[in-house]
Order: sequence, then structure tokens, then C-alpha cells
Amino acid sequence: MSKDVLVTMQEDAKRALGRSAKGRRWAMLIDLRKCVGCHGCTVACMSENKLPPGIVYRPVLEFQRGTYPNPKRVFLPRPCMHCDHPPCVAECPKPGKGGATWKESEGVGAGLVLINYQECIGCGSCVSACPYGARDLDEGLFHTDGTPERQKYESMPSFEYGIAAKRAKDTPPMEKARKCHFCLHRLENGMLPECVTTCVGRATYFGDVNDPESEIYKVIKANKVQFLKPKKGTKPRVYYISDENLEVIYG
Amino acid sequence: MAEKPNQGGSSRRDFLKVTAAVGGGAMAASQTTWARGLVEQAEKGELSAAATYELMKPENTLYTTCLNCNTGCGLKVKVMDGVAVKIDGSPYNPFTLHPHLPMSLDLGAAATIDGCLCPKGQAGHTGAYDPYRIRKVLKRAGKRGEGKWVSVPFDQAIDEIVNGGKLFAHVSGEEGRSITGLKDLWVMKDPKVMAAMAGDVALIRKKKMTVADFKTKHAAHLDALIDPDHPDFGPKNNQFVYMWGRKKGGRADFDKRFTDAFGTNNTHGHTTVCQGSLYFASKAMSEQYDGAGFSGGQKFYWQVDQENAEYILFVGANLFDANYGPTNRTSRMTDRMVEGKLKFTVIDPRYTKLASKGARWVPVKPGTDAAFAMGMTRWILENKRYDARYLGNANKAAATADKETTWSNGPCLVKLGKEGEPTTLLRAHEVGIKAKEIRKAADGKESEFEFLVVMKDGKAIAVDPNDDKDPVEGDLFVTTEFKDEKGTVIKAKSSLQIMLEAAQAKSLVEWAKECGTTAKVITEVAKEFTSHGKKAGVDMHRGPAQHTNGFYNISALMNLNLLIGNFDWTGGMIAASTFNVDGTKTDRQPFPLPKITPKSGKPFGVSIIRHDAKYEESTVFANYPAKRNWWPLASDVYEEIIPSMADAYPYATKVLFSYMGTPGYALPAGHTQIAALLDLEKIPLYFASDITVGTTSLYADYIFPDLHYLERWEFQGSHPNMPVKIQPVRQPVIASPNEVVKVFGEDQPISIETVWLALAEKLGMPGFGKDAFGPGKDLNRPDDFYLRMVANLAHDGKESVPDASSEEMQIFQKSRRHLPRNVFDPVRWAAICGDSWKKVAYVLTRGGRFDSQENSYKGDHVANKYAKQINIYQEKTYKVKDAFTGKHFLGMATFVPIADTLGNAPDALAKGHDLHLVTQRDVRMTKSRTITNSYLTALYPENAILVHTSDAKRLGFKKGQQVRVVSATNPEGTWNLGNGRKKDMIGKVEITETIRPGVITFTLGHGHWATGAMDLVVDGEVIKADPHRQGGIHANAAMWVDPHLKNTCMIDKVGGSVSFYDTKVRLVPVR
Repeated sequence: MSKDVLVTMQEDAKRALGRSAKGRRWAMLIDLRKCVGCHGCTVACMSENKLPPGIVYRPVLEFQRGTYPNPKRVFLPRPCMHCDHPPCVAECPKPGKGGATWKESEGVGAGLVLINYQECIGCGSCVSACPYGARDLDEGLFHTDGTPERQKYESMPSFEYGIAAKRAKDTPPMEKARKCHFCLHRLENGMLPECVTTCVGRATYFGDVNDPESEIYKVIKANKVQFLKPKKGTKPRVYYISDENLEVIYG
Repeated sequence: MAEKPNQGGSSRRDFLKVTAAVGGGAMAASQTTWARGLVEQAEKGELSAAATYELMKPENTLYTTCLNCNTGCGLKVKVMDGVAVKIDGSPYNPFTLHPHLPMSLDLGAAATIDGCLCPKGQAGHTGAYDPYRIRKVLKRAGKRGEGKWVSVPFDQAIDEIVNGGKLFAHVSGEEGRSITGLKDLWVMKDPKVMAAMAGDVALIRKKKMTVADFKTKHAAHLDALIDPDHPDFGPKNNQFVYMWGRKKGGRADFDKRFTDAFGTNNTHGHTTVCQGSLYFASKAMSEQYDGAGFSGGQKFYWQVDQENAEYILFVGANLFDANYGPTNRTSRMTDRMVEGKLKFTVIDPRYTKLASKGARWVPVKPGTDAAFAMGMTRWILENKRYDARYLGNANKAAATADKETTWSNGPCLVKLGKEGEPTTLLRAHEVGIKAKEIRKAADGKESEFEFLVVMKDGKAIAVDPNDDKDPVEGDLFVTTEFKDEKGTVIKAKSSLQIMLEAAQAKSLVEWAKECGTTAKVITEVAKEFTSHGKKAGVDMHRGPAQHTNGFYNISALMNLNLLIGNFDWTGGMIAASTFNVDGTKTDRQPFPLPKITPKSGKPFGVSIIRHDAKYEESTVFANYPAKRNWWPLASDVYEEIIPSMADAYPYATKVLFSYMGTPGYALPAGHTQIAALLDLEKIPLYFASDITVGTTSLYADYIFPDLHYLERWEFQGSHPNMPVKIQPVRQPVIASPNEVVKVFGEDQPISIETVWLALAEKLGMPGFGKDAFGPGKDLNRPDDFYLRMVANLAHDGKESVPDASSEEMQIFQKSRRHLPRNVFDPVRWAAICGDSWKKVAYVLTRGGRFDSQENSYKGDHVANKYAKQINIYQEKTYKVKDAFTGKHFLGMATFVPIADTLGNAPDALAKGHDLHLVTQRDVRMTKSRTITNSYLTALYPENAILVHTSDAKRLGFKKGQQVRVVSATNPEGTWNLGNGRKKDMIGKVEITETIRPGVITFTLGHGHWATGAMDLVVDGEVIKADPHRQGGIHANAAMWVDPHLKNTCMIDKVGGSVSFYDTKVRLVPVR
């Protein structure tokens, strides 16, 4: 092995950033055969995005199947699918660019479903619209509330959407809809999403699936891929590889 | 995003230009090209202006080493405004990137490349910023464990501990209690007296001197002994007991500096609560023949080189959740698993995450691992699937000729006793084959060398196992007899013959029945294991080790590796390899610590846990059974420390100091440890170093606040699965909240080092303070010690590391701009390091020293080799007598049934209890210390008791039902926390198919009674508990108490491990 796949994928991402938004198609691929259910991605994301209690952008779900002595355990990380037909956007009262949530078509974030916290009114329509449960409303909580002292790390700026916003009362993203954004702020700086770089099993791939030289392209090409809830017609940007039929497990 | 407010910093465009400039020519080419591209894009307007991503700047990045578990991954800590806001894996460290990037990688480029981390590593800073951390010294204001404290000045606490007196007169019932301080224990100081006494104590042990003669000879110094009638207890200095949980290099050296100078033999770690019998069985296998007996065994073990193995048999190893650890090991496996290049079997009653990815799961009965191993051994031997060439080698020369770096004592002959039982290895002179030889050691000392014996083609040959000139090979399976000079018949068998007979003691079907599987499974696993040449291995951990038969489980499993001779081969068994820090390795190292430390008397006398000592050689030897065990083969026997103090066996002690450990929580039957700590008479003074009021420090008289691992120094070392030679450094990356105190005239936040320094200052102990390392070289602060060790690290290896460039020196300082002067002072640091300053900076800016991936393998072998003999037959183990029965321990591994210390099967304890209790780790918690990490507790608020569907059905349990865990030694199903406080051992049931029926488990890390989970009163104010920390169950108090010891869990009396997985319990529904 010449390079850790994390290094390779970062090079892929940088190459993709050098190309125009139109020719690029960001996607994530999660190989469940390699996911060992460590929850590293979940916490990396919590920490990177300063998530309050009750919100995780990328839970790792566990499904147990079969019976003793032949049981099975399947670990399924579930980020935002960044659907090409996002039901959340459809349900938003202020959809579209300039509004609260939209499918981006320009710049580094082209292809991602984004939220503008300034515009979001926190109505929660998108939360119930997402068939994957990928969105939550930020209820304005802090992990260290109820202890002797609220701690600074919770209020320090996160860099979501490239905005260094401190967490404070009546300030976005409190009381706004929140979800995974593929760490756009890292991507813009040539870095991979947190869930990708912290993956101990190297189960999560990220990159431009239009780039035949990219790792994600090669792995997709070599394997049978699946999507979550394919019948919903959402056209997710998150691909999965699994020995299990995910439609049976997850829908 | 149409508009993004610029948060006042430089624009993205400016920032990118700066980054590209900082990187300069040293920046990796691709990095520079890419950065330029981004600048161009920004100029073209394709990128929107946005706030700078502060977390990718080298001046906001610091490298250190995790300690949220003992894996010790490389951390890249990202700091803003002095606050650690994000932690990722270090790209320089092979635990977090595979292969890792070279140390020569530019700091600017490295800042943009993150390695992997597990959730505990990711959440680490939330533990540093735990609102329940203590910042000042707390002194007990109520009864032990009552949770009432006053904060006292640091100097007062030190003064009281040193001088003793009526320290707790303010506590009801303790008005008249007078406590002995450390000054009255540090009484024997003359190295010559200590050496003379130690020498004579050795003679007493060998019955070559009487106690009466000793007393006459040393009449002038008897008052310094604990008990002149028992000189082997040593001096009163031994009445100071220091014990620890998680401690690594550096801090270990610091502590030892104090305890050696103090002259106490009672310094004990926690090994046996983890996987002690794995360490000590491996130690027994690594004992080397010295011409008379076996010595020099290493406390260590081997694991599989999983990035090259084709097949691994994992036994009780849970490495996707724990076991050094998810980061490094998973990343070396998953690709190869998916590509079909690595196949593995998991033996474990639990269907772990690891098992879920395996080719086969074998859910054995807990505690029967050796039965499976013996079944495999039988099949492998009878079907000749072993590496005969390897096993035939009887010395180094023969091994070398076969391109082997290790060899076994498989062909060596073992004498048989009257009952035909194997005893000691046959010596050549005993049967007239070759006389003893006089050999001269390097130090000029002469000694007799006795040769061992092998048979080759019917002829007996003398052999020196370490001879590297004349190859000696032996027949594998030998049964023979000799006559000694008197004509007495001496019967002997080869080690391998003894192994064969042990394996043939039961049929495959019987072995299978013993462990709850089938002969077919054993056969298939054995066949698979022996189908990959050297690229296979048995990799084991806590599962087989933490039983009363742990030592022999491990030995039996490790012997399988010897049968295929896979040690030091790529894909076989490998051991850890580290760079040196104490300055004893190369001439370039500037601070050889042993040489520049004042000579103090060497501690002597038996320790309170009776390690490295034989019952029969002690002055308390009476009859069998002994009151408690003696441990000639193990050390750091954690479960023994506090109960032995409570039993005053073999002698009474006065002062206990505990560091970063919670025996009350972590040990099986931990409530017995708590009960012992409540005994003011037997443990008159107990002080602790902790970062919170923890589940055991709750019972201390004083608690000194310690630093979190992000605030302090240490040298993490490595683990056996890591082929790369490394030495990760732990260094302060954030400021401590602790009170700043003055010791030796220097300001410093309170830490354990501060405690040692202040005690040394108060006692007037040599080796601390001014000129401690020689003229002009003081030891006043932690960095005086650790920076010198980093300098040594920089100068180890074939070449010293390069100097940090001037640009790197700038980043080095700038990235520490938030640290207070009393932690980081570049002028002081430069002065300490002298000529090595820029090399120290080079190491610290990378978080340690890491060899390259390329240097870690040489052809078919790993580069960092074990390269010695490994014992199949353990003579040294045989020579030890069981302190309870007086019988010899077995020299050949086999299956030994679960038993209490007296050797009785626990049938009476098991009666009426239908479920077998085991435990496991979840990757989101590390036993006692991670409940303080908000992100982890939020994600994993409570654990459960996992029960198989069939058991749940039989017992009428529903998912989520609350049940109480009861056992024969805890029929009430509670934690007795003292002072009338009890905590119910109640948890919720989770029903699963992922466990062997009849076995139940829970994950460790929940069910706390302190560490923020209990209301405290400090200085009269109530500090309310965080209910989030009270979730889940901790069922260790249900684990069996040994019927003979009565105040300790069941134990492996050979290897020291505690019995974690042998207890039978009942689950009682809670209505």
C-alpha cells in the first residue's frame, strides 16, 4: 500500500476542486462491509459542527438479523443523502437559493442540499419531510447545562457554511433546521468531510464520481451499489455497498 | 449561500495566499499547486469569500497523544482562543494514518491532513472541560466516602501528609486519631545499610541465615524495620504504598524517582485488572535460560501482524471496540477483509463487532478457551500440521540456519517425577552427557553453566539454547530414560511429547464438549490455522486471560503460535518497539537519567502484594493454605493491594497514595475494595491524585487535582500489534484550570508531579530541586524532567532527528501562544534543552518520534524482532508451588477448570444462579473515565444487560425491563458504598441473538456513583450531580468474592488476573 486512502481521496478532492462546478458530482459512498460501528464519524461530526444535545448529523444505526448461532450485525451510518430530488426542499416554505434551503448548483457546494440559517424560520416542515430523518431542529441546548458551569467549547465558533458563528442564544443556528452538509467548509479548503477522515475502517469514500481517476469512482465501478429508500425517488448522493439488501433492512 | 458575513478575520483569498507563502519551498508540491489553484479560483470569483477556517492553520494545531483509552492514538488538537475545539488523528502517527506520513512532512501541509480517530479520541476535549473537575486540594470533612470536603491550601496538605498528627480531629469519631506522616516512614536512607540488609534478607530466604543472626548483625538498624522478627518485610519505608491505574512512560519515571529515593518497595500498577495473565503467561514463555534456570522474562505479549496475516484466530479479543485498538487495527484489516486477503475466526461467547465481520464465530463457554486450544493442539500434532523444521531447532544457531529468528524448547527433555509428571528440564550433567562449564560474564563474574539435553536419532545431545555457532536440532517426540551416576533411572520426555500427551488427555469430542462446540469446528479451525504457513496467528486478549485459569488459557493459545513458528514473520506474531527516552540507548543522548540521578538505597523486602516472592522462602511461611497468595510469576497485582493492606498481610502499612485508577469501580467485586478503604485503622492515611472526585478517590482523605491528558506530559510507548518503531509524546496543548502553586520556588498548576516535588521538597529528599541532575540542572517543575526525556528521544535511533527550521520554530512558539508561562516558556525550555532545543521542537511539533512504514519490514520478517527462545515447557512456572495447596504449578499448559483459590470448583456459589455473567467494552466508553465526556455520554447515555432471546423467554423478560443482578456473594444485588449508602445493581434488559445462550453481558463505563454522578459538599456548598452520569448499570459487585480470601474477587493465582468472567448470577425482575 503506497498511500492511506484518506490521502488519496484528499488529492482526488483537490483535483475536483480545480474543475468547474458543472462537471463535478460530489458523492459519498459507504462500504458497510468495512464499517465496524465505531461511531467515530458521529462524534467527529458533533465536535466539528458543535452539535447540541439531541442532534447528530450522522448517526450509525445498528441492525441485528438472523438467529443464534448465525446472527448478523449491520452498521449503517446515515448522513444527509443530499438528494437530487430533496423532499425537504419541496416542503420548505422558503425554498431555493436566497431562501432557507435549496439544492446548490454553483461553486464548491454544487450538488449539495444546503441550509441558510439566516433565512430558516425553524418551522420544522423539512424535518418531517425527510424520509431519512436527516434533519433536526436545534432546540438551543448545551451539553454542559445543568452542571456547575457551561463550558466554552460548546460556544466556540463552528465553521458551518464557512461562517464562524459562535453558539449563543437567539443566534442561528439555534432554533433552526440542521443537517449534514458534507462539511462544505472543509471541502472549500481542500479537506475531506470529518466523517470521512475519521473513519477507522476507511469505509466512507468521498469525491467526484465524474472523475474516473478518483477512488470513489473506482470503488463504485467495481461493486454493486445500493441506495436507501430507492422507491422514494429522492435520488440520493450517498451510495452504499453491502452484502445485505438494504431495502429489506432500512427500506 | 448568497451572503456570507466576513467575521472580521482575513478573507479567504488573503488567507490562502498566506498559507501558500508560509509553506514556501518546503510545502509538498501538490499542496502548493492546489493552493495556488484555489487562489486563482477565488480571484475568478468562483469561490465565495468566507471566514477563515481556523482549524487548518499550523499555528492553531498541536500534536499530542490521546489517553481516553490506552491505545494512545496520535492527536492533532485544534485550538482557538486557547480552547481545544476539535481533535483529529495525527497524519504523522501510524496509529491514525496507514501508512503514516513522514516526519519530514511540512507542518503547513500536515495541518490540512487529518487522520482517523475513534469517538473517544474525538470527544477527548469534552473530558478536559468537565465542569466537575477539581481545581484545588480537597480534604475530607466527613467520614470516608461521605462526600463532604473542604478545600485546603496545597502547602497545608503536603505539610500534613509529611508530618502526620491528628489531621481529622474535625471529623466526628476521629478526634483522637493520630496519623503517621511520611517523614516517619522515610527512615532508612543509607544505601550501604540497605544493600547489606537486602543481601542478608536474600540469605534468610534461602535459609542460609537465621533471623536471630540477622538481628545480631544489624542490631544498630533494627528500629528502621517494619518488624525485626521478620526482616524480610524490609524497612518502614515500605509502609508507604503507591498504586496507579493508567500510567505511561515519563510519569512512570518521575514517580519511580520519588519512590526509589523514598525506598519503598510498594509501588504497584493495575495490570491484572486488564489482561494480567496475558502479560505474565507471555513473560513465562519469554524467560531465557541462563545456565542454571530461567530469568529475564519480559512483561509483554505478542499480537498478530494483521496487515500481512492471511488468517487470524481471535480469542476473546474485541478490537473493533477496544484492545489497542479500533483506529490502528481496523485500518489495517478492512480493505484486506473485503478483498478476501484476510480471513478470521472469532472465539468469544459474544457476537462482537469483530465477530460480525469474521468468517466464523465460535461462541465457546466462558473460561474454556484452553479446551479449544488443546483440541486444536491435538489435531495439529496428530495430523502433523506443525512446522517440524521450526520445532526441531534447539538453539539459536539451528534457528538461524533455517532463517528463523526465534526457536522453542520443544525438543528439550523434561525429567519426570514419581507419578510420571513433568518436572524440571533435564541437565546434561545429571546423566553424564556433558559436565557443567565455568563461564565468565561480561562483568567478569564466573558462574556454572548447565547444558540442557535433546535427543537426535536416538542419541542424547547437550545443548545451550543461546549458542549461535553450533546448530543443535532435536527429535520432536521423545520418551526415554537415563541412569544417573548412582545408577538411578531418570525418565524424561521432550516438551513436545508432554504437550502431545496433555492434548491427548481428552478426545476431540471431549475437548469440544468442554468448551461448548463440536469436534468438527475445532478440526476446521485447526486446519485453516495451519493452511497459511507463517501468515497466520492466534491473537488473544482479555477474554481468555480474565479467568481463574487465565494463565493456562493464554499459554495454551500462545503455544499454537509456536506450533507454526510464526514469531517475527510478516503476518505472524509481532511485538512492540519503541524509541528510548531515558537516555540509556545512544551516546548522543544528552541526559542519561540513571547516571545523573543521585544514588539512593535500593528498596528491599517483600511487597504488600508479595510479588516476585515465594511463600516458602518467607518468614511467615507456616502451612498451606497461605492467608493470601504469593506471586513469584506476576507483579502489579491490582486486586491484592488494598485488601492486603486491610489484612495487614504480610505486614501493616500506614499510607496509601493512588493515581489515575479506581479499583473500587474497575475491579470485580469492587465493593470489597471500598470496604477495605473504609478501615481507618488498617489504612490510616489515604491520599489520591485525580481530576474529579472519582469512584475510588471519593474514599480518600485528600484529593490532589491532576492534569487532564491534554494538559500534561507522558511517553505513550507502543502496542504489540504495531510494527512501526515509535514513541508518541503527550505534551501540554491547553492550559490547566488547576490552582497554581509554588514548589521549589516555581509556579506550576497542581499535578501529580507537583505533589511528588512538594513532598520531596518538604522531606528534603535528594534528586529533586536545585542541581538535581547535576550542577545547574534543576528539577523544580515537570518540564525540567520531560523536556530532557524529549531531548533523549530526539537523539535515539541510528540518527538524531534534524533541527526544526526557523519557520518551524516560529510555528512551534505561535501554536503555544495560549499556554501560560508556568506551562510553556520558550526561554526556559531552550535553556533546559541546551544544544538539543531545535531537535526537541522538531519532535514536539510532530507529537513524537515515528519510524517509517518502509523501515518496519525486512523481507519476510518484521524489522523489529523478538529474536529469542520461546518456552513451550515452562520450567520456572513448574518450580513455583501453589501457596494454597503446596502443589507445583503445571509447566505445560492445558485446560484447567475454573476454581477458587483453594482449588475448589465454584459449584456451591453457582447453585441457583442460571446465568453466566461476562462484560465487554463498547468503543464509546473506557471503563471509569469517559462518562465525563459530554459527547460520549450524550451518544451513549446508558448501557443494558444483554440477554439471549431464549433466556429472556424462559425468564419472561421483555425488552427494556429493569432487572437486578444478584449472585451468591452479593445476594442483595447492590453496591455497598459505605456510610449506609447503597446503589442498586439494576439495569435494563436488551434481548439479542448476539450472545451464547446462558451468558449475559454489559458494557463497562456506566453505573457511576461519583465522578459527577453524586452530590458533593465542598466548603459547605452543595454541588449537585449531573443526572446524565448516573445512567446504566455497573454489575462488577455481583462478581464472586473468593471464599478463602473473603475480601477480594476470585483470582488467577498463577498469572494474577482477576476473574471477570466466571460468575454465575440471577436476574431478578424489578417491579
